[in-house]
Amino acid sequence: MRLLWWTLAVMSLSLFSILLSENRTLDPLQNLSLTIAAPMENGLRDIADPISGFFRGIFSRGDLVRENERLREELERLQIETAATEDAQRRLQELEEALGVKENRPDDVFVVADVIAQDPSGFKRALAIDRGSKDGLDEGMVVLSKSGSLVGVVSLVYEEFAWLRLISDPNNAVNIAVLTGGEEGSEARGVAVGDLRSRLSLEMLPTEAQIQEGDLVITSGLGGNYPRTLLLGSVTSVEEKPQALSKRATMEPAADLSSLDTVLIITNFRPARLEGP
Amino acid sequence: MKYAVALAGSFLVAILATSVMPYVKVLGVAPDLVLIFAVCWAMIRGQGEALVVVPMAGLLRDLTTSDPVGTSMLALSPIVLLAVIRELRPVESDFLPTLAVVAIASLAYAVVSMAVLTAIGDDVPWGTGMLRVALPSMLVNPLFTVLIYSPMRWLTTRPKRESFGVGSAVQL
Repeated sequence: MRLLWWTLAVMSLSLFSILLSENRTLDPLQNLSLTIAAPMENGLRDIADPISGFFRGIFSRGDLVRENERLREELERLQIETAATEDAQRRLQELEEALGVKENRPDDVFVVADVIAQDPSGFKRALAIDRGSKDGLDEGMVVLSKSGSLVGVVSLVYEEFAWLRLISDPNNAVNIAVLTGGEEGSEARGVAVGDLRSRLSLEMLPTEAQIQEGDLVITSGLGGNYPRTLLLGSVTSVEEKPQALSKRATMEPAADLSSLDTVLIITNFRPARLEGP
Repeated sequence: MKYAVALAGSFLVAILATSVMPYVKVLGVAPDLVLIFAVCWAMIRGQGEALVVVPMAGLLRDLTTSDPVGTSMLALSPIVLLAVIRELRPVESDFLPTLAVVAIASLAYAVVSMAVLTAIGDDVPWGTGMLRVALPSMLVNPLFTVLIYSPMRWLTTRPKRESFGVGSAVQL
């Protein structure tokens, strides 16, 4: 009988707490808990780096892992340069065609934030950072890696802290363009969706698109939630189904999402979802 | 005093879960130290104490993650019901039933978490979640149970110092 009452009490309390949490009533409490935990989490994350190397080293040699990380950073930098060049060429062509249209996007303004924690839930890909609403952050703002590739969006903002939702999270969908490197520097538009794996699915791509492994994936800017031409990563495989209405592919993010320690938040770009009607 | 120790222990494992454990992924999942701590407490200290410690651990976990507060409190609650195995004593050892409860509680935790996230409007891929998170955590969490079970068992069963009567300053 005692267990029955206990179960009912815990269920009621939990559901009531979830409702309060969804109404953002408990934000000050969560901000307080992160304030207390952040210094310890920061210190422990520094200690955890060698542990990470050890666990990766169980399955692969440690020097190979380090070399892989170095090459990955180099690849990310080169991919960004390539994407910028290809996009600049296409952009020039577009501007020539649409003479008189003035580009009025201002230079991006960033807030630099340190990652203090990672959501342990297996069903989310989220990171906590040490910047919050008092630093001008708002939900929906776009987050980049140190090298400048897209890593996610701000999903929850407290006064001094915020949670980021990574692009690999199942709740994230980004309108993208695959730079197919065809004769005319064409691009194929689609949507990048996270699905709890380290790679992202590229969906709703045109069936006639000539997509190949290694093609770069950038934001298309459609929908207004992300600025144009932010690098996401590169295509790793393409799914060919003759009868399918659209083509599917997978991509690997340019940034190593599992070891982010510093991120940049674009504060002057207002995503469409934050703007009023 | 015991609940103060439980509070400190829960807070410590909740901090470790968000700072260190994401680096310690095995089969693609990080061991859930808060769940292991709650199960070990319930199996070593008994169901009576688990009635307080399990929701406390869940609350501390919720406060340090992006989940809505109450999610882990709800998802960990089956541990208290599963702790009845301790009283049944199916085998002589206490450790083997603890491993079994950790495995079952991991599955229950995953299912309840996914249900809550779905209910609040998150897009949860149930198939992928079961295959890539729930099932691997049923194997990974028991592997790390010894790290919490052993010290907790030692602290619980170590011989207490005896004294010569109440109020005596002389202790053995």
